Amino acid sequence: MSLIRRIIRSSIGKKYIMAVSGACLSLFLLTHLAGNSAIFWGKDVYNAYAAHLHSLGILIYILEVLLALVFFVHILVAVMLYFENLGARPNRYEVKKNGANNWNSRTMPYTGLIIFIFVLVHLVNFHFGERTVTTAEMVREVLSRPGYAAFYLFSLAALALHVSHGFWSMFQSMGLNHPKYNNFLRYGGLVTALVIGAVYMLIPMLVTLNDKFLR
Amino acid sequence: MHLNPQIPSGPLNEKWERCRFEAKLVNPANKRKFDIIVVGAGLAGASASATLGELGYNVKTFYIQDSPRRGHSIAAQGGINAAKNYPNDDTIKGGDFRAREANVYRLAQISNSIIDQCVAQGVPFAREYGGLLANRSFGGAQVSRTFYARGQTGQQLLLGAYGALMRQVKTGKVILYPRTEMLDLVVINGQARGIVTRNLITGAIESHAAHAVVLATGGYGNVYYLSTNAMASNVTATWRAYKKGACFANPCFVQIHPTCIPVHGTYQSKLTLMSESLRNDGRVWVPKKAGDQRPPVEIPEDERDYYLEKKYPSFGNLVPRDVASRNAKEQCDLGKGAGETGLAVYLDFADAITRDGEDVIQKKYGNLFHMYEKITGQDPVKEPMMIYPAVHYTMGGLWVDYHLMSNIPGLYVLGEANFSDHGANRLGASALMQGLADGYFVLPATICDHLATADFQDLDIGHAAFREAETAATDRINKLLSINGKRTPDDFHRELGLLMWDYCGMARNEAGLTKALTRIPEIREEFWHNLRVPGGDGDLNQTLERAGRIADFLEFAELMVIDALDRKESCGCHFREESQTEENEAQRDDENYTHVSVWQYGGEGKKPIFHRESLVFENVQPSQRSYK
Amino acid sequence: MKTINLTLKIWRQAGPDAQGSFQTFESGPISIAMSFLEMLDVLNERLINSGDEPVAFDHDCREGICGMCGSVVNGEPHGPEKQTTLCQLHMRYFKDGDTIVIEPFRAKAFKLLKDLVIDRSAFDTLITEGGYVSVNTGAAPDANSIPVPAPKAEQALDAAECIGCGACVAACPNASAMLFVGAKISHLALLPQGNLERAKRALGMVKKMDELGFGNCGNERLCEEACPKGISIRNIARLNREYMRATFCSDE
Ligand SMILES: Cc1cc2nc3c(=O)[nH]c(=O)nc-3n(C[C@H](O)[C@H](O)[C@H](O)COP(=O)(O)OP(=O)(O)OC[C@H]3O[C@@H](n4cnc5c(N)ncnc54)[C@H](O)[C@@H]3O)c2cc1C
Ligand code: HEM
Ligand code: FES
Repeated sequence: MSLIRRIIRSSIGKKYIMAVSGACLSLFLLTHLAGNSAIFWGKDVYNAYAAHLHSLGILIYILEVLLALVFFVHILVAVMLYFENLGARPNRYEVKKNGANNWNSRTMPYTGLIIFIFVLVHLVNFHFGERTVTTAEMVREVLSRPGYAAFYLFSLAALALHVSHGFWSMFQSMGLNHPKYNNFLRYGGLVTALVIGAVYMLIPMLVTLNDKFLR
Repeated sequence: MHLNPQIPSGPLNEKWERCRFEAKLVNPANKRKFDIIVVGAGLAGASASATLGELGYNVKTFYIQDSPRRGHSIAAQGGINAAKNYPNDDTIKGGDFRAREANVYRLAQISNSIIDQCVAQGVPFAREYGGLLANRSFGGAQVSRTFYARGQTGQQLLLGAYGALMRQVKTGKVILYPRTEMLDLVVINGQARGIVTRNLITGAIESHAAHAVVLATGGYGNVYYLSTNAMASNVTATWRAYKKGACFANPCFVQIHPTCIPVHGTYQSKLTLMSESLRNDGRVWVPKKAGDQRPPVEIPEDERDYYLEKKYPSFGNLVPRDVASRNAKEQCDLGKGAGETGLAVYLDFADAITRDGEDVIQKKYGNLFHMYEKITGQDPVKEPMMIYPAVHYTMGGLWVDYHLMSNIPGLYVLGEANFSDHGANRLGASALMQGLADGYFVLPATICDHLATADFQDLDIGHAAFREAETAATDRINKLLSINGKRTPDDFHRELGLLMWDYCGMARNEAGLTKALTRIPEIREEFWHNLRVPGGDGDLNQTLERAGRIADFLEFAELMVIDALDRKESCGCHFREESQTEENEAQRDDENYTHVSVWQYGGEGKKPIFHRESLVFENVQPSQRSYK
Repeated sequence: MKTINLTLKIWRQAGPDAQGSFQTFESGPISIAMSFLEMLDVLNERLINSGDEPVAFDHDCREGICGMCGSVVNGEPHGPEKQTTLCQLHMRYFKDGDTIVIEPFRAKAFKLLKDLVIDRSAFDTLITEGGYVSVNTGAAPDANSIPVPAPKAEQALDAAECIGCGACVAACPNASAMLFVGAKISHLALLPQGNLERAKRALGMVKKMDELGFGNCGNERLCEEACPKGISIRNIARLNREYMRATFCSDE
């Protein structure tokens, strides 16, 4: 217990928690992405995938709780970090020149907040709502509303931005930084973010642009 | 007054052993009963504080900067010498036979332990590929025995000592007093028993009592205004000790470093040293024709005068610092100087680049070239560097005996602040060695002798002597603040500096020195009537700090000139134009001047009193230096 | 020598608890060969002559090694030149007519003392918590008894080059001291001499760092860009490693 307290109290410990929870979330994102890709093969494949998920029963339930827990920890520690960091510089600078390449890192708390709101909306849309239609129909219904589609696109862009820094950052936090593979991590992060962003964003775009999609 | 250097008897190589053996010891359990004040946290002060703390004494360490990691020692670039089996006579010879033989020998003996100590502290010295320590040859030494950490040896050594010091701070054995300036020494019953300080942030004047006071306050090169020293380097601590009775030795011995970036303008605040390793590959030259204004690259080979190579065929560009400096001055005095001011000579890498390729030269000197370009905006690969000599190190300092104790019992002086080991000229890379030898090894072994044998009166800062010193310090500060004249402290400092540079600099003669001797009191007089220091004494007032230091320089400069006048020979860095060989080289006068000139304060407005410590050389016989 | 004229907007604050504000000055002609601090010297001489208090700023070596100088110039600690301390920054990097905003390094852990002068003693406090090798004077073994591979020694030196100026803290959006601590931890962890105490050192220094009110590292890399010695954030990664290793694997 004291070990956990020690970790959560220390700045580096918190970074580790962010990194590990971020890694779990990234893994979730990738599996979720892989699963959702079924959608590109049409509504039947997609509905079958959804049905398969539901058939897992208690297992999917456990995973959901775990995931929620990870989200909770990630967000909780993020909030702690945010406020601690605000306090570390009570007097602001008059002029602040930011580095050329850090706007994705600078905006982590904000992109995070967007993701958080998105996740809530997303859950209301697809998880807690009353189920009268198939999953594919539900997706079509939600995303065909232009407001929702725009919100999804915006949030997913924020997610991509979050991951574009987060990917490299979690390795750095866990102590992995070596000239031998730094380029791989940096560009790996960009590619991951791009893939995640592009593939997820394809769904609302297809719904909006292609009338036949999921019909 | 009799000055006893306390050099142990016996053969040279046994003296230090014998000194330690004969010293009275303080029982380990009793060490905590002794308080020691250390002023200064450069290499000498930090290493002494740390070691004294380890031994169990209660140490208080005072310094001007905000952290002990910033002492001026941090700026040393080149390296640190260690004996690792070299014949030590080149340090004696380098000092032009004006240093104590026994001290120099001890330095060489201790130097190996210094390297061991620093490595154990984690100082990342350069290594060979096999993992052993690397070394190079440096600064007029004739063998490769300089250990280094890139171009920042001083920094790494100081950080090592700083670490050791902070470890003692953690144990509570050392208490630090940052941003605190020593303003006076307190002597009670003939013993040094404390100091009076000013807190530079709050302006508070405070007293501190102890059983011994250690000064490690560095050199006084800033008397010249422009030097390679840090801005806060000063003579205040040693000068106030002098006025309380400590003797000053060889104040006129000042080393002028040949490879510095030349002066650009009157606003200039300091001079930057370029490591003299540059002379290994750079060729020094000036135009043959006086007043030649062409850019250097347009001056053809046969119109260039490689004066060092011509004059000193065997040493060439690698002659010792004093010789290189003096020759640069000589060329500029002939009107052959380079650049806008005419006060510079060229240091040219074109031949080295043609010979070894640009890569090789860049690899060796890239960081120095970069630094030069940063400051001057010129690229030494494309056009020759311009260099000029600058004040760099002061060999003179408070007189100390073999135990590093001054003539005031209980007052110890370490590092550049004392006069002990370098005679009339210091060899490169040996100041770091001396500072650390003094702090880590010599003082901790000798101070116990005083502590164990002296009669200590029980006293604290309530003693009248402290009150008196505090009042004097406060009065002086009030005086500085109340003059309300028209000139800034720096303005006076510049004037003094220029005067000293012109008449008590690289070459000195009777007429010039006499002139300086009349001018200095005049400037001082004006200073005390026409100075302007805004602000008050109750908070951070940097103008006031500077004014106080300059006031001391204005007094000290006079002693320097008196000493330079008195020493009618040329030796090492002290070049009296009256005393030169037919070939314009320095001419020593061993018969009359084989001594240390020691000066005692004679009282306000009175002449200082001269004492002589004769030097005896048992092992090395004085010979004329020749670098032809 | 060419000269330029500048408008200087400088933070003035009489003391730690006083209210501060910007004061604007016309620089008058400034030679482009001057260093930044010499430019401030010229301004201060003028202020003294007109009976005003000069701008207080810290400095000592003026060759970029003591770490005493440093202010935020137009939003960048030590100004716009890469790997250059303020004292080594020269006026030729500015243009005639430029406005220069000069502010102190700001962080909760660095109390402002006056104008541009700050209290960085927090760095010293950090070093007290183990930024050294515990070896008494005279107890050291022969320097060559433990060989150190040259590349390791070089890497240790890369980290040990830190001058403790505080620019990393000033640059960090979170005022974190991770680069400073990372550099010291790395310097000593890379050498066999420092290896024995590495766990204690990492735990002690990080604990103290958090207590002193420095922020958390956000991996934003601004520290490394501002560092006048070019110290890499690889040292921060090493610190993260050392800390976790000490937390999970050591007996400390
Ligand atoms: C640019 C440069 C390069 C050099 N390179 C080399 C080299 O390569 N090799 C070499 O061997 N030597 C070199 N030297 C010389 C060497 O660095 C110094 O002689 C040596 O470091 C002096 O150490 P110190 O401890 O005696 O004094 P310093 O390091 O000068 O320390 C003085 C200390 O005293 C304090 N102090 C001063 N006055 C007061 C006061 N009134 N009250 C309170 N505190 C006070 C200061 O705050 C400081 O902490 C170089 C010198 C310079 C200038
Ligand atoms: C699927 C969703 C998410 C993924 C994949 C993800 C991933 C990551 C990753 C990998 C990191 C880097 C960790 C590190 O620097 O060591 C990170 C950091 C961060 N995340 Fe998330 N995250 C997600 C959701 C969120 C949410 C919902 C929030 C907040 C409301 C959030 C806030 C933050 C913040 C503030 C940081 C920066 C922490 C710091 O560096 O100080 N994230 N995230
Ligand atoms: S004054 Fe020393 S680093 Fe700038």
